Amino acid sequence: METNRFDLVVVGAGLSGLTAAASAARHNLKVALVATGPGSFVLGPGWLKAEDMARGSTAPDLREAIAFFCEMTQLAGCSFAGGIDAARFLPTVLGDFQRVALAPISLWKSAPRDGSSTAIVGVSGLSTFDENFMAERLNERARAIGSICTYEGRKISLSRNRGIPVTTLHVAASFDRDPDFRAELMDALRLAASGFSRILVPGMLGLRSSDQQIAQFEQELGCSIGEMPTLPPSVPGLRIFYRLQSHLRQIGVELFSGFPVQKLELHKDDCLHLHVASPGHALILRGECVLLATGQYSSDLLGDACAGYDEQMRPITSAGSLMAQNPFVAGSLLPGSAEGNGDAMEILTGYRAGNFAASKRGHYAAR
Amino acid sequence: MQQDDFAIDNCLKCSLCNTVCPVLGVHPQYPGPKRLGPELERMRREGIRTDTEWVEYCLGCHRCDLVCPNQVEVSQMIAHAKAEHRKPLVRGVRDWWFARPGLIGLLATILPYLSNFALALKPVRFLMSKIMRIEPRHKFPKYSRPNLRTPVNVSTKRPGILLFPGCFIRYNRPELGRTVIKLLELNGFATEVAASECCGVPAIANGDAALARALVRSNVKAMAHQVNSGMRIVTACSSCGHMLKTGFGGLLDEDKAFAEEVKKIAANTFDLAELLVQQLDAGSLNTNFQPSSLKLAYHAPCHQKSQGIGRPWYHLLCQIPGMAIVDLDSGCCGMSGTYGFKQEKYDVSMAIGHDLFESIHAAQPQMVTTECATCQLQIEHGTSAKTIHPAEVMLQAYGEHRCN
Repeated sequence: METNRFDLVVVGAGLSGLTAAASAARHNLKVALVATGPGSFVLGPGWLKAEDMARGSTAPDLREAIAFFCEMTQLAGCSFAGGIDAARFLPTVLGDFQRVALAPISLWKSAPRDGSSTAIVGVSGLSTFDENFMAERLNERARAIGSICTYEGRKISLSRNRGIPVTTLHVAASFDRDPDFRAELMDALRLAASGFSRILVPGMLGLRSSDQQIAQFEQELGCSIGEMPTLPPSVPGLRIFYRLQSHLRQIGVELFSGFPVQKLELHKDDCLHLHVASPGHALILRGECVLLATGQYSSDLLGDACAGYDEQMRPITSAGSLMAQNPFVAGSLLPGSAEGNGDAMEILTGYRAGNFAASKRGHYAAR
Repeated sequence: MQQDDFAIDNCLKCSLCNTVCPVLGVHPQYPGPKRLGPELERMRREGIRTDTEWVEYCLGCHRCDLVCPNQVEVSQMIAHAKAEHRKPLVRGVRDWWFARPGLIGLLATILPYLSNFALALKPVRFLMSKIMRIEPRHKFPKYSRPNLRTPVNVSTKRPGILLFPGCFIRYNRPELGRTVIKLLELNGFATEVAASECCGVPAIANGDAALARALVRSNVKAMAHQVNSGMRIVTACSSCGHMLKTGFGGLLDEDKAFAEEVKKIAANTFDLAELLVQQLDAGSLNTNFQPSSLKLAYHAPCHQKSQGIGRPWYHLLCQIPGMAIVDLDSGCCGMSGTYGFKQEKYDVSMAIGHDLFESIHAAQPQMVTTECATCQLQIEHGTSAKTIHPAEVMLQAYGEHRCN
């Protein structure tokens, strides 16, 4: 079996690419994932809006795809709560609420709870997170959505960040590595939480921390704690990316990170060569199937000949014939998604692409 | 990708580079690659003086480059800042030497036994720490008399290989060089050793751009003829490989006479494992391996990842029947060539390696294997686990003894 020959080569590590790689690997396909950076999902809050989910709900297989996504994130230690029919109002840093269908557990817990008193805890030196502004706005907005709860701003300072500007990335990195820092953070939060039924903090509880580690922190803190997404890049979104990446590696997906695919060789038969722009000379990967999940902002690998896609997400020419048998397209490259079918569609088309690749399984599958 | 004024606008300030920087993870005051790379570069191009000592803390691991969604060459920008940074005298003198492992090697191997004896003496290391700010807790690699000649007796039609040995193989571990040559011979390749100098990575890392340029010129001259005659360059050191493949860090891009040769060298340079995996995939790898019951842990060096070639050593070692390999995948070791030897950076270096050391303890391998010489030093220093080059593992699996 050739080292750089795969049943499926996925290009792009956004939501659709990650889901496709996992779903194909579940079918025991030999999968490669080629990516430059983590895609745009991590730049958003890390949750799926309810309206997104509703827009995708006409697809018969959305439920199955979301169930798969939830299972995948759970195995990766970054579980999502909610679901296709769920909707919760989650607070944003702008002091508003967004209706969300699916979110990482730590964000899902930030929803208003009737009868609760919540401390919004800021960190001194951390810009773009104003706990008092948020508390004031959320008190007002909570009434508007019919929730009976109160918010108050609190601020903590952390000694190791004294005198330097803090970012949530700094805090999260220290949270991951430094037990002394976690202890200090916990003491400060405990103090800020006194008199409240729960606290909300900016998303900063580790870039690579698992559900279990966050739950343990909460247990030791002795108070319910939720995270709020901050300005990009948001820590909860990054956490999902890093944890999914290690999960994929664990289930045998070969990751090629850092260099873009510069060329796609289309052949009439069922084999495609991808040229990865590694330094010096291109790295050639071969795929029985290839999935392009590069998003709208990457270079166009299919070129002008591609005029659209068939129902199996395969590129077709203006004459309506297939460009080749085995490339697929997923995520926001697909038409229609530009209007904002969004993250639910990313998951759905990624999941479908993984299954299509499995149904076309080549003779390199045996491992 | 390209060194032009537009490339700087590719930085969207998304901060993804900051999320993977090993230094930023352990040092809360460190400004991070976004600030030290594109942001300072922007000011420098406007002629604004922006010298900061923090640039000295960049490892040159290239992880920021790899995660950038827009292919901004962050670490190259930090290297420019390093080259302009002015150091205090003592550190300047120390780094002058650290930029020249070839010269150190040349001097130390005049009387290698004496050098090794002296460098291992506690009082000598104490003095070096006081006078030169060199960390006394880190052991120096042992020096050996250069000897890369080995009887090659293959009749083969395959185009020849030009081994770029690098300073470590040339001055510290010539037996590793002979191991590589033997490995290539067992796979039907005839090998010549390049009359090359240091690849220039230590010079860039220590802020000596002029020296790096001189070394690159001399290396291009030393190898251009063979490459033009169809030979492929092979490296067994991931940092040398990184340097050759990236067109020597773009150092000679301005120099038209050299730019073409540099490109040709980049296109014809292969990591040893990359070459052998190509043989494997073509069905022509010698797979007469003897079964082994070894349990190994593999660490992929940063400069292996920055070559964008996948995990060739991991896949090659997996071909050896019975051998168990754990891919540690635990980030940077923190050594970064001479960085871990610098007294003021030792703690940062060890803190970065902490995750890797922990996963080695958890994996409980009989040995660790990694292709980078200074990763080997750091792993042995941080864990006491015996650490060898994967080429040595492979040669042993062929039933050949190491080339002592």
